[in-house]
Amino acid sequence: MNRSLFVLFSLALFILSSCSELAKKPEATSASERPTINLDVKKWELDNGLRLLVIEDNTLPIMSYYTFYEVGGRHEGPGTTGATHFLEHMMFRGSKNYPPQVFDSTIEKLGGSTNAYTNFDMTVYYESLPSAHLKRMIEMEADRVKGLLLVPELVEKERQVVFEERKMRYENSPDGKLYLRMMQEVFKDTPYGGSVIGEVEDLKKLTPDNLRSFHDKFYVPNNMVIVIAGDVDADDVYSLVKDNFSDIPKAENLKELKSQNDDKQKYAFKTKNIAKEIKLNGTSRTPLFMYAFQGLPIGPRESYVMDILSSVIGDGESSWLNQTLVKTRYPQLSSVYASNYTLQHNGVFFIGGELSNKYSLSRFKSNLNNLIKKNMCDQAVTERTVQKTKNQYLIGFFEGLKTNAGVAHFAGLRESFFGDYKEYKKEIEIYENITTSEVKDACRKYLESAEGIFISIWDKNKETN
Amino acid sequence: MLKLITLVLIYSLTSISHAADISSKVQKFDWDGLEVVWVEDERFPTYDVSVYFADGALSDELKGDTSAALGLLSLGTTRYSQKDLIDHLEFFGVSSGPYVTHEYSLYSVSGLVKDSIPTFKRICHMFADATYPKKELTREIKRSRDATLNLVSDKSTIASMAFRELSLAGSPYAYPVSAKYQDLLKLNNPKHLKKRLAYFNNEVYKRVYISGPKEILKIKEILNQECGWNGKTATFKRDQKFEKSDDQSQPKIYLVTVPGSNQAQVRIGKLMSEEEIQPLETIELLSTYLGGGFTSLLMRELRSSRGLVYGAGAFAAGQKHYGRGVIQTSTKNESVKELLTVVKGLLDDLKAGKVRQDIFDVSKGRLEGSYPFRFEKSSDFLQQLIYLDHIDTKYSRFLNFPDELKKVSSEDMAKWGGRIFDWNKLTIVVQGDKSLEKELSEFGKVIIKNYKEFL
Repeated sequence: MNRSLFVLFSLALFILSSCSELAKKPEATSASERPTINLDVKKWELDNGLRLLVIEDNTLPIMSYYTFYEVGGRHEGPGTTGATHFLEHMMFRGSKNYPPQVFDSTIEKLGGSTNAYTNFDMTVYYESLPSAHLKRMIEMEADRVKGLLLVPELVEKERQVVFEERKMRYENSPDGKLYLRMMQEVFKDTPYGGSVIGEVEDLKKLTPDNLRSFHDKFYVPNNMVIVIAGDVDADDVYSLVKDNFSDIPKAENLKELKSQNDDKQKYAFKTKNIAKEIKLNGTSRTPLFMYAFQGLPIGPRESYVMDILSSVIGDGESSWLNQTLVKTRYPQLSSVYASNYTLQHNGVFFIGGELSNKYSLSRFKSNLNNLIKKNMCDQAVTERTVQKTKNQYLIGFFEGLKTNAGVAHFAGLRESFFGDYKEYKKEIEIYENITTSEVKDACRKYLESAEGIFISIWDKNKETN
Repeated sequence: MLKLITLVLIYSLTSISHAADISSKVQKFDWDGLEVVWVEDERFPTYDVSVYFADGALSDELKGDTSAALGLLSLGTTRYSQKDLIDHLEFFGVSSGPYVTHEYSLYSVSGLVKDSIPTFKRICHMFADATYPKKELTREIKRSRDATLNLVSDKSTIASMAFRELSLAGSPYAYPVSAKYQDLLKLNNPKHLKKRLAYFNNEVYKRVYISGPKEILKIKEILNQECGWNGKTATFKRDQKFEKSDDQSQPKIYLVTVPGSNQAQVRIGKLMSEEEIQPLETIELLSTYLGGGFTSLLMRELRSSRGLVYGAGAFAAGQKHYGRGVIQTSTKNESVKELLTVVKGLLDDLKAGKVRQDIFDVSKGRLEGSYPFRFEKSSDFLQQLIYLDHIDTKYSRFLNFPDELKKVSSEDMAKWGGRIFDWNKLTIVVQGDKSLEKELSEFGKVIIKNYKEFL
């Protein structure tokens, strides 16, 4: 075992035990035990399949409430792209007992805030508010599961809002255009090959009935995880959730519906050789680029190895790509990064950045390819750079757990992705034990020996297909 | 030995007991003349340290030199290369960097307490011995110039930059703290940057804000001896007042043209005077009422009722001697006229004292109820203290916020709102296609600007 990591995770153990202590019962630990993070989570599953996690912390009279619905952009069929995200918007447009404009007004008037996000795999709603209003919050969340309104006039208004959001994220953003095209190419002919916000033509056609159908199929208790963290009593939370949600019937056909959606063949890359160059025309004065490689889904050990690889080569000013291409006497790039984007059923690893003014795009592409093929894996991946990344991840864990919202999100994501919030223990153990040679091997296998798609956007590009 | 100064926190006995609990965790020290504020937080093995310098970009000799001198410390020192410096800090997972405003500057560092000694030894070495090596400096200046040119692809940022310059024109706060494209080459001067850094080290008053466990206080010796910071000689505090003329009788309207956009960015607002930034609770309520959440007036009218925008925000806030009242949003080109018409109507209503009581009640409830969240992260709480100290305001003002807020009436808010967002006193900047000129002219004379003027 790497000694310094052992020390760091011992600290993690201490601290998260302290967090638990703030809540209720600190888990007894000793130096001889295997170091790990111990979140004091209480978990229940109602008869209808709804899972509830509660983490008590009475430091301040506040709480955060997260709801994870295991439905995202990948569950949409042809012609209905954007339905999940559109539905997320409509969840704030009124329900039976909380008519339009009452849901968010009620929360904000109580001192709270609320929002949501949608990605390919899930839809997540969240609120933070004074914990005195726990009961009201649970009633409100249950009401929009049981009695979502979907008023046609408001659907039309919200459609225009979604178009404005699409313009902001993609149409007027070279970075957004580049990213969208990368996803379309890498995941071509799979449910990940597009944007969560949807295609304009599909968005124009989505009806309240489409959205209702989506809601009825997927916003069901056996497809939900509720996580509440803060100044609450776990047993009280359980009673209130049971009172408000147990009358919602489980969807008996959910397993079948999801098994169709989760068919791994649907997500598999359709071709091994994705070597390709694509040029997009955009407003950027210097070229922006993404060089994308086929990656891995979330879960397997190798995908964690790839996380570390992405940080080693592209996170921070001391990373190898930064030192080689940016912080050098004759910079080829003015910025660079790397990312390992792991989704539930597949993933993509990409390097991106912005060229220095007047540096040739074709020359850069060739240089980058040579670096990846010849030098990068050996030079970048060292004992020190791998250890540095592990240290940075540790701080990231702490930063993420400093608020109730962070704690709730942390636990809920793992419960939703893996079916068990305790997966974080395995995660930490994997990160802890990943060796330099593993990272080097992954670098050779997934980057050095592989082919990628190089996409650029520039005001001087002539658009290619 | 740490010298504990009597805690100056004075708070009234309110029902906000948690505020009292938290305030008892705030202590002040005198570290050989260096004033220190510590928020004790034993929950995590991490720390946040912010060094406050009582001067900012207003002291620039060359535009952007404060920002460059503090931002480029890691380019090299008498002992270490840029690579060594960055690698050392990043190995410990440390985040560090400056935040420069016109009135003051901060240099913030965060990381694991157990690594704080080697971290601060390196940070202090950078402050004491930065050399800004020519080779690295030239590269960074070029990088900055490239990034500035490429802002054409970031429409929202350009709009905000243009708006700042145009709405604050004539004041010392209009010029961007990080300088403009035309200034950047002049900053390629190691000797000058070293002189600027020496000024901040030796002449400018400093105060250190710390949150974290008690162990972090071990950095005292390093700050005193290796950074060389104490209060004996470094006493200068910038205190530059500015009197603004108030002769504007109609809105100033600018169309900033930028290529390739099917969405117009809209910014509306003005420079606030010292008097206008005094009623802190009232202008915070005003900000929330106008554009502080999903239920704000602008979000309700522009997004919920009309579907014109994805987001709309507003704020009225100040530093020590000036403030800014700003409304910001974006919409498709075809909707600009409708959007401005709606906003004008809402602001005219406010000036006439017409306040939407339902939204006022929600805004007030929101600010009051969310107060405990300001203490949730020690680093956020620390920022509140920095701000209060900068504007020479007692912490009790912050601790008594809920009580003071209760006293603010809708009439009070309308009075200040009508004054700060008086349509005829505002600057309106629309960044978008040139074809928008005709529609904008219905609101007054339109001055067209090219976006490049603001880079």
